Amino acid sequence: MRSMKRLAVLVLGLTLVAAACGDDASGGGDLLADVVERGVVRCGVNDVLPGFGIVDDTGAFSGFDVELCRVVAAGVLGDADAVEFVGLTAGERFTALQSGEIDVLIRNTTWTATRDGQEGATFLFTTFYDGQGIMVPTATGFTSLEDLADANICVLQATTTELNLTAVFNARGIPFNPVGFADNNLLRPAYEEGQCEAWTSDVSQLTAFKATIEGEGGAAQTILPDVISKEPLGPLVRDGDSAWAQAVEWSVMATVQAWEFGIDSSNVAGYTSDDPNVKNFLGVDGFETGIGLPTDFVVQIISQVGNYEEIYNRNLIPIGLPLAGTPNDLWSNGGLMYVPPYR
Amino acid sequence: MTGRPFMEPGLEEPILVIDEGRRDKLPPGKWVRRHLFNSWHNTLVTVLLVLLLGYAAYRFGLFLFVNGRWSPVRRNLTLFMVGRYPREELWRIVAQVVIWSGTIGLAWGVAIAGASFRASQTGVAYREDPLLTKVRRYWGLLGLLLLLLLLTESFGPLILALVAIGVGALLQVIGKRVPGQYADLMWAAVGVLAVGGYQIVSGFHGRGWIWMATPLALGAVRLVGRIAWTDPRRERLMQLGVVAGVFGIGYVAYSMLDLEGVGWDHWEGLHLNLIVATVAIVLAFPLGLLLALARRSSLPALRVMATSYIELIRGVPLISLLLMAQFFIGFFLNTTTPLSALTRAIAAFTLFTAAYIAEIVRGGLQSVPKGQIEAGQSVGLSPFRVTRSIVLPQALRAVIPAMVGQFIALFKDTSLLSIIGMAEILQVRALVHAQAEFRGFGIAETLVFVMLAFWAFSFTMSRESQRLERKLGIGER
Repeated sequence: MRSMKRLAVLVLGLTLVAAACGDDASGGGDLLADVVERGVVRCGVNDVLPGFGIVDDTGAFSGFDVELCRVVAAGVLGDADAVEFVGLTAGERFTALQSGEIDVLIRNTTWTATRDGQEGATFLFTTFYDGQGIMVPTATGFTSLEDLADANICVLQATTTELNLTAVFNARGIPFNPVGFADNNLLRPAYEEGQCEAWTSDVSQLTAFKATIEGEGGAAQTILPDVISKEPLGPLVRDGDSAWAQAVEWSVMATVQAWEFGIDSSNVAGYTSDDPNVKNFLGVDGFETGIGLPTDFVVQIISQVGNYEEIYNRNLIPIGLPLAGTPNDLWSNGGLMYVPPYR
Repeated sequence: MTGRPFMEPGLEEPILVIDEGRRDKLPPGKWVRRHLFNSWHNTLVTVLLVLLLGYAAYRFGLFLFVNGRWSPVRRNLTLFMVGRYPREELWRIVAQVVIWSGTIGLAWGVAIAGASFRASQTGVAYREDPLLTKVRRYWGLLGLLLLLLLLTESFGPLILALVAIGVGALLQVIGKRVPGQYADLMWAAVGVLAVGGYQIVSGFHGRGWIWMATPLALGAVRLVGRIAWTDPRRERLMQLGVVAGVFGIGYVAYSMLDLEGVGWDHWEGLHLNLIVATVAIVLAFPLGLLLALARRSSLPALRVMATSYIELIRGVPLISLLLMAQFFIGFFLNTTTPLSALTRAIAAFTLFTAAYIAEIVRGGLQSVPKGQIEAGQSVGLSPFRVTRSIVLPQALRAVIPAMVGQFIALFKDTSLLSIIGMAEILQVRALVHAQAEFRGFGIAETLVFVMLAFWAFSFTMSRESQRLERKLGIGER
């Protein structure tokens, strides 16, 4: 009888605790206001992908995706340094976004229909057009996918890359033998030792490894011209909060618009133009978009971080990814970078 | 000192002689001949094994000192130690190392003083271990320290190591000199230093005053107890007043100071592994103890709750608990972050380990003969006194090896933090190999380095448990 009473008290206590926790829950749905109040953007990034997101020996994040996080912070808060970076693995990134651990995910995430539909995430403006390619040692003389019949192909396990490899090769009726690895640090030595004749991954990653291998005196490498998939990469936010999604998207797109206008971090201060589109873009004369961003958000982004071309040149040119003539070039140069007008 | 021989009938020599001193009193030459070259096949095995081991040692030495490409470790040593911790705040960790080294030194000295005080009261001579024994006991850690110093590129770490060891040695000497009857005050000082060492990094603000005021209040209560009071009621009143005073002053001081530090969510690298393991061990031990007692309790509700908790937690993998705490709490409570990510991870480690500790302790409790409990009851001890003074000391003594094994496992399991996106030392290795110049470069070396770091601490824990076992005479009774 006594123990029953104790149990009852305990249950009552737990209920009260649960109720108290429940009361703490924020209303939800207004992340933009929350972020402004918090004063920091929590950004999920990759911390082990050269060019896109790495940590240097002083512990600082750098990379293409990392700078886009800084763009969001500069646009929303006016301070590019007001970012809390969260290094995420491929497996945990969507969960982190859904559970609210992070406000925005910029972690080389491919936009696909199932992800958009099932992961509770909204994909925004594509910031990098990647595609899956295949690298072979030049000495093998392989020049096309058909040459790879019965070859061992190194691939990272449990990635869309692996699925796509199987799908494309089966569709073309080319027999092959996939060799799976958990991460690139294990894959690279295996590839160089000749455990496999080819290495498939996103072209951006293959290009980076090609440069490293050849730079360290390894065998010459060739990336086959066939690109066997589309991999549009961009930022993601949680479903159901369009105000926040717009704030992130228009901040990121501003880097491309500035590039198109020829505005960069060196000339944005005091940039003058008679073009009303440019004036609106820079928030001159108090032009207000109604997105919920400060009037001068573009000036803050461009002066503190830079335009798309500057960000690309800082991070992706050094790892051997060209910009001119690729899908990531401006639409006016034949690329796919095309943003809606700021007016 | 005579050895204790274990005789087997029909043999002239004992098969085993246990001796606290030298195991074998033969001169080296004769020992080698008798044990390694006493027959042709033994000689063959010896020669082959020496060749094999020698070759392995040669190859490993070559790797370690000649071929090893240690530049990824060398360049990123700070990253391995503290991860992305802000560099301009690094002085806090330096101060923490020095303060905690002093804390350990003081605790060690006070423990020695207490042991010799008790020994003198019972009339037994107390013999302190010579310095060489102590050095031998911690050679794993000292070796790691030496390795770190060899890998550094500046003199800063060397100076830090010397200062830390110096402060630790100084406080140990001070702790030893303080008469044994002041041990309680010294332990309060150890508590204050430990908390201070933590808060020099995390900052002196918020609710930190509770942690700082607790050891201070305990010390103050003991101090009041030293005064010869005529009226016990006034003594109680005075003690209450002192506690209230200390807590009040602590609260006011912390709200006035309000010095923000670097919260433990920003602690990374080996620093993070060590903190998580330490905090989880300190919290899991009492929790596990209570669970074990609850499971053997005569109250059914308590027993059912403890049993279902233990079986539930023990039945799931640690990694699933970590993921649960990290990413799914938000769904249940419908709020973003009730607690910081690291707090939740430490909670998961603690809850997991406590379940195992509970079962280990329960094993120990069951090994205590019923007669012991009945003896306690027959002299009129309360159930609490019986448990506290008769059952637990014997039960815990018996389970030291298993318990330390669990703690070592917990320490190594902190590498799972990498899976939930925290840059503990193994994850730092991944970060290093993403850097342009170390992509796929020196991957064996960094792995060996991380392994050595884990090994040094695990090995030291193991040695400490063996020392404790020897001291308490486990395995000899």
